[in-house]
Amino acid sequence: MPQHIKRLIGVFAVFILLFLVMRQVLKPSSFGELGHFRARAIYENTLRPMHYTVADSCTRCHKAIRKDKDSGFHKKLKCEVCHGPGLKHSLYADQFKNKELPDSLILYKPGERKDCTLCHQINAARVKILFDTINNTMVHQVDVMSHNLDDPKAKDAPKCIECHNPHQP
Amino acid sequence: MNEQTKDLSRREFFKAGTVLAGGVAIASSLAPYDGLLFAAESPGAKGKWYGIGIDINRCIGCGRCANACKLENNVPKDRFYFRSWVEQYTIKNDGSILVESPNGGIDGFKQSVPDKEIFKSFFVPKMCNHCAKSPCTQVCPVGATFETEEGIVLVDENYCIGCRYCVQACPYGCRYIHPEKGTVDKCTLCFHRLKKGLQPACFEICPTEARIFGDLNDPGSKINYFLKNHTCMVVKPHLNTGSKLFYNALSPEIR
Repeated sequence: MPQHIKRLIGVFAVFILLFLVMRQVLKPSSFGELGHFRARAIYENTLRPMHYTVADSCTRCHKAIRKDKDSGFHKKLKCEVCHGPGLKHSLYADQFKNKELPDSLILYKPGERKDCTLCHQINAARVKILFDTINNTMVHQVDVMSHNLDDPKAKDAPKCIECHNPHQP
Repeated sequence: MNEQTKDLSRREFFKAGTVLAGGVAIASSLAPYDGLLFAAESPGAKGKWYGIGIDINRCIGCGRCANACKLENNVPKDRFYFRSWVEQYTIKNDGSILVESPNGGIDGFKQSVPDKEIFKSFFVPKMCNHCAKSPCTQVCPVGATFETEEGIVLVDENYCIGCRYCVQACPYGCRYIHPEKGTVDKCTLCFHRLKKGLQPACFEICPTEARIFGDLNDPGSKINYFLKNHTCMVVKPHLNTGSKLFYNALSPEIR
């Protein structure tokens, strides 16, 4: 074998060895276990904090509202649809039964007209729901911004919840 | 025919046999890299295999799914970043199509076209399709995004280099670069909730039960009941992404 080929083989061997060493150092430990990714990333994705709870954790305490809601049109609605995420609220209540809730954990109480428009504002795309009788889902459609209102800009405009009980509409 | 068969000598027979066997061996060793085989195979044969169903007829466009998604997953509040959002499609009498999504539908929709000009209008909730053959995972140069065994497309935040290639590759526009982290972010199907036995936040919250979620491999699951009882379709089926988000009443206008 010529001298220069021998040298080249040596140079290649050094580079390959260097590559293998660097790969060993740089490669994350769980990479390639399940595919071309870090297998540990699956576990890391489960560690994110939760914010939404499940419906029955609300009605454990708010029993009267549950009774109201079960007989109204909103019976299928989960509390968090209107009130926002309540996991911290319910966990705190479970842990400190008789303590007052701190302000930061008091949930949103929708009452403004804009809160009701989200579902009940009349819209061409919503009307079809009225005809879906198979599952008895009917979303009542009104022009919320003019319903029972002479001047939409008046500050003392009556709120929806003054006439309609949102828990038992 | 007969003459040819007779003429084949023992030596030639062994030659041909060896070539054939070698060819099969080489072809089978290359199988994992064959794009055609990849496109034709059906993944998710065992274990859980999650699928999503959305009933466009039942969506009332309240945007609570988009809101719940942002609150559950700490998605930036700006109007550009969504893991889940709602669009209103309005098809006018003259045939033109108007697509609106003010703040992803979180603040509600206002009908911008008068009734007499509208031929039909409907809401379309959008989210990651959790494709079985995701274009987004195939283009990642570092292996920072992948499909789990359950068919959920996840991102490895600590490994992502923020090159934005997957953002461009997703045909459904379901990825964005997180403005603070600088890495890509997308719907995880609330993986952290799934592993605790809960539903993803948007499915938990939908007031009209327009969103259905379940295991496609379980014949008794809600999603299979939904698929059997409705005429369902995926968005952009011609791309063969293996999308697992099935829409009922999907109009051809929806892109």
